[in-house]
Amino acid sequence: MAPNIIPADTNGIRDKAAIVGIGETEFSWNSGRSELQLASEAIKAACDDAGISPQDIDGLIRYDMESNHETLLTQSLGIKNLRHWESVSYGGGAGNATVGHAAAAIAAGYANYVVCFRAANLRSGVRLGRARGPESIPGGADSFAVPWGNMAPAHRFGMFVRRYMHQYGATSRHFGWVAVTLREHASRNPRALRREPITIGDHQNSRMVVDPLHVLDFCQENDGAAAVVMTTAERARELRHSDTLTLVEAAAQGSGPRNDGIIYRPDLAVAESEHTARDLWARARLSASDMDAMMFYDHFTPFGLINLETYGFVQPGEAKDFVEGGENIRFDGMLPVNTHGGNHSEAYIHGLTHVQEAVRLIRGDSTAQPPHKAINRVLSCSSVAQLSGAVIIRRG
Amino acid sequence: MTQQTEPVAKSPAMTKPLEGVPLPDLEQVPDYEQGFWAGTRAGELRIQRCAACGRFRHLPTPMCPECSSLEYDWTTVSGRGTVYSFVIVRHPVHPAIREREQTPYNICMIELEEQEGLRVCSNVLHVAPEDISVGMPVRVTFVPAVADPDVTLPVFLPASDR
Repeated sequence: MAPNIIPADTNGIRDKAAIVGIGETEFSWNSGRSELQLASEAIKAACDDAGISPQDIDGLIRYDMESNHETLLTQSLGIKNLRHWESVSYGGGAGNATVGHAAAAIAAGYANYVVCFRAANLRSGVRLGRARGPESIPGGADSFAVPWGNMAPAHRFGMFVRRYMHQYGATSRHFGWVAVTLREHASRNPRALRREPITIGDHQNSRMVVDPLHVLDFCQENDGAAAVVMTTAERARELRHSDTLTLVEAAAQGSGPRNDGIIYRPDLAVAESEHTARDLWARARLSASDMDAMMFYDHFTPFGLINLETYGFVQPGEAKDFVEGGENIRFDGMLPVNTHGGNHSEAYIHGLTHVQEAVRLIRGDSTAQPPHKAINRVLSCSSVAQLSGAVIIRRG
Repeated sequence: MTQQTEPVAKSPAMTKPLEGVPLPDLEQVPDYEQGFWAGTRAGELRIQRCAACGRFRHLPTPMCPECSSLEYDWTTVSGRGTVYSFVIVRHPVHPAIREREQTPYNICMIELEEQEGLRVCSNVLHVAPEDISVGMPVRVTFVPAVADPDVTLPVFLPASDR
């Protein structure tokens, strides 16, 4: 049967919703408190930033991996009338996808103040990088992977990285330039967990965890929470950040075939974001060259290169030259990426901090604010299997 | 640099499958996956194949993702293929890997010769980490799992003599 992909050319959410508040807890290796406590603190901080009360919230978008369900939050936040709630599946893809879902709910009139959040003790609690327990497997993708020792995210994503290196001649050193750059950005960010600068030599000499991935290619595993508050563009003009609106211009999620188990997609040198990117640009009627900065989901540094290619900032195979030396992707370079330090060095809150940093950049509040150009449009994107998400935030 | 430790010593070749890792519970494995494990128990690599369009598929599914047929059979393949991609695991993430000192080990995606893009996840035994490469020819063999003799695992060996 011939594939029949209907082009995405309708953008019903364009500029309908604004991010009006961002907030987070401190990021740590051991928060010492519950995930509901973390969620409540981050959401309160985001409401304070917006200038609204948590009681005004009437929409919640959570990750489906989140332990905090709607009932817990309505109870803790004192929400008077929750009108709309959704759970977005998959970790890394969900960060941007929650914002797209919130924008759709706002555009549809389902809710007035929608919060997207992620709160988790991903270090002191259950660590995603660790393998599951000793129990047997009831079938499914794990049963065709775990018996051969394929049991952690790095094992699966390392398969992409090896294939990508094979196909395009990228080397570990290229990934190192991403690590060095993100750490430099984090060194300016007081929220960041890892602030000590590193050199390309540090990266190359760091412990090999899952060849081809050094330990300095990995994101952090930490505790913490992040939240964003969204409302209509009209209402945003009455709130605290009315001088700088940050509008959701377009959003997309995407997946191709054969995404179960992560490692079976037709070409492992590209990621599911090829589908997301195609739809995002079609809906926005924009291209990569219209973006002033890119926040990418950096669970592993090589996905910086893969994102640059799948979202069209460079042609396939060209990212290795683009990131060489780090100058192009630094905060003061041609395309600033992850100016907060990303999952790699700031904190791992499943991609939601990237959306927050996009807002900061447009407000001019980043700790690595590009000194050489105005930031009017930012792409926040992910490339991960199984489902990826992306959103364009623009100055209103 | 707080994340650094001393370099890992050069490893011996991996000569046997991993021990102590979780295995499929064949009592719970769904109907559309059973044929794979029945095949390995019989010493054959059987891959699910659409009865209508003839395309192989892995991971197993109830429906053919190409032609939507619900009819399939299990076809024994040659067991020959090439390494499509691989990683070398140096850091153990599972207690059985750590306690039995089973690192380093490789995980390979093997592309089977019957169909472009038809891949299974496995290990290539009897090869040092530094000697694995993308495109390397391999052939299947079968090893009963130590912890559950009902489960037989397909693993691969270098087949450079092809």
